[in-house]
Amino acid sequence: MISIKNLHASIGEKEILRGINLEVKAGEVHAIMGPNGSGKSTLSAVLAGNENYEITEGSVDYIGEDLLELSTEERARKGIFLAFQYPIEIPGVSNMNFLRTAINETREAKGEEPMAAKEFLARVKEKSALVELDASLLKRYVNEGFSGGEKKRNEIFQMAMLDPKLAILDETDSGLDIDALKIVSHGVNKLKSKDNATIVITHYQRLLDHIVPDFVHVLYKGRIVKSGGKELALELEEKGYDWIKEEVNA
Amino acid sequence: MTTIIANNKVSEFVSSIANENLPCWEKFSESRKKAKEILTQLDFPTTRNEYWKYSRVTKIARETYHFKNLSEEKIDLDEVRIPDLETYEIVFINGFISLVNSNLPSSDELEIVAFSDSKSHDYDSCFSKNLDSITNIFSALNTAYFTDGVLIKAKGEFAKPIHIIHYSTGENIISQPRNMFVSTTNSSLTILKSSINNNTNKFFQNSVNEFFLEKNSKLNFYVIQDYKKGMNVMTTNVVNQERDSVFSAYNYTIKGDWIRNNTNVFVNGKNCETNLFGAYQPTGSEHIDNHTIVDHLAAHCESNEHYKGTIADKATGVFNGKVFVRKDSQKINAFQSNNNVLLSDEATMNSKPELEIYADDVKCSHGSTSGQLDDEAVFYLQSRGLSKKSATALLIGAFLGEVVEKIEIPELKEKVLELYGME
Ligand SMILES: Nc1ncnc2c1ncn2[C@@H]1O[C@H](COP(=O)(O)OP(=O)(O)OP(=O)(O)O)[C@@H](O)[C@H]1O
Ligand SMILES: [Mg+2]
Repeated sequence: MISIKNLHASIGEKEILRGINLEVKAGEVHAIMGPNGSGKSTLSAVLAGNENYEITEGSVDYIGEDLLELSTEERARKGIFLAFQYPIEIPGVSNMNFLRTAINETREAKGEEPMAAKEFLARVKEKSALVELDASLLKRYVNEGFSGGEKKRNEIFQMAMLDPKLAILDETDSGLDIDALKIVSHGVNKLKSKDNATIVITHYQRLLDHIVPDFVHVLYKGRIVKSGGKELALELEEKGYDWIKEEVNA
Repeated sequence: MTTIIANNKVSEFVSSIANENLPCWEKFSESRKKAKEILTQLDFPTTRNEYWKYSRVTKIARETYHFKNLSEEKIDLDEVRIPDLETYEIVFINGFISLVNSNLPSSDELEIVAFSDSKSHDYDSCFSKNLDSITNIFSALNTAYFTDGVLIKAKGEFAKPIHIIHYSTGENIISQPRNMFVSTTNSSLTILKSSINNNTNKFFQNSVNEFFLEKNSKLNFYVIQDYKKGMNVMTTNVVNQERDSVFSAYNYTIKGDWIRNNTNVFVNGKNCETNLFGAYQPTGSEHIDNHTIVDHLAAHCESNEHYKGTIADKATGVFNGKVFVRKDSQKINAFQSNNNVLLSDEATMNSKPELEIYADDVKCSHGSTSGQLDDEAVFYLQSRGLSKKSATALLIGAFLGEVVEKIEIPELKEKVLELYGME
């Protein structure tokens, strides 16, 4: 589905991604772990098309297309979804209004008719139930005054509404209480199919207990320095990153 | 004795419009005479004058104009009507009242008298009251040569809005409507002002509105400025508030080549409330200027002012808000803020909120911000599939929406949201 080759990205003079290689196939779940500041959120921002980062080298193929040539909205309309680590608040823009616009512009880009109001509402009802997002939150402005956990649920609710091919979940578990973690993971699992793929960025095994990865990668200093199966996450949980850092720095 | 030599430019301008066949010439001849005298002493302001620092009037001053009375023509008002909202309508064409297009109430609660009606009125003596204290050449021009106008006086709780519609058409035409709005003791009145222009070029609309709020009355003044090309618009609103009254002005500018709005509120009585809200969104090379003054001359009052704007392309926005709190006006709460979003590097915003406080027991705040749209918010919305254009529009809507939300008439709010492209 997505094939990232030797991806380098910088902000200003600072190179943050220093040669990422990653291949994700349909139906797979990949976990990306790694110390703070290693470049995980940068990678997800770059894949979503954030123009603050300059791509200096490398390529990304997404279902046969050069991803780096697409605008942010084109990527979204072609099925890339980023659940932000820090979802921002947008006062004055209502959740529902913005989601309706997002869905309809995506449909329009595909030459489809806008979604009927009734169908949209039915979908909202179904998907908000999936992540147990309180209906009153939907009527409010995007994330404004939401608690940390509510913001994360709202991200997954949006994901459910948009039904992406490739979902990148950047620390969706942080800020969720124990029950919410289960609910949200359950939601993510429900959305999984053999046609889509998920990249989960996390620091903790507890999320991976629920969303079981096929592969685990360690990102360090802008590179994927180690990859393995789901047992790698358990090993990291136990031993931390020092042994990997030593291996890399040796 | 001193001889005053009239400035050439002003005298030329005045002689081009001097026309003593205007309606209601006789009745207001004293005021007109006084204003004409003032005109001989005034010059067109330059940008060296603080009050005109950011708005050049040379473009207006160097033209010659004439009046054109088309008040018998039937015109289509649909574009400014508010769906599902019943209003009365008073139509002016090029500043002249057009009865054939108007729809006036017959009610004991409301009195509407055209100035051209020869009957004298108990408010005649208030004509131009407090206007002189802020004399500028344009209000004097209006007083000297106003085309026509109405006095609207509410005597009860008059809920149905009075919609004043200005229709402008022609080239090098000047239109100088003049209105007076009175809410008598315990009454309420809502005025809505809209404009239509067609085939205008170098059209100059110079209007003056005077407001008198008697004790415990309420007056709402909604203005929608949505002009096609070819209009220069100058408006002057002078408001006089007696005790326990509430005045609220809402000024929504959608489009206009060149607009200058002056709103001056004299709060003469205790326990009054004054609300001034406005939004503007100049694009292209438009120039939109809002100047306001709230003068707290009495104690125990509250004023709230909030203007917001987005400035695109090479457009210019100007905001100047002055709040005076006079020496014995204790217990005043005065809030003022102006927020702007610059949408291009070539856009200009000149914002100056000013507070002058001479009393000691007051709560006042003022502030002004000019910034850019939040890139991160644009990215967030785009990452969900919105085009940059709709993401930007949604954020602008959210920004300006705050002052549109202040509208108390739901149908009107809908219309204004639609005009700004927000749904
Ligand atoms: N806009 C920016 N300006 C300057 N430096 C930046 C910017 N964005 C990211 N960085 C730097 O890039 C590095 C990688 O940041 P990134 O957010 O990708 O890390 P991360 O792996 O997601 O960390 P965490 O686990 O804490 O979320 C950090 O050193 C960060 O300070
Ligand atoms: Mg991160």
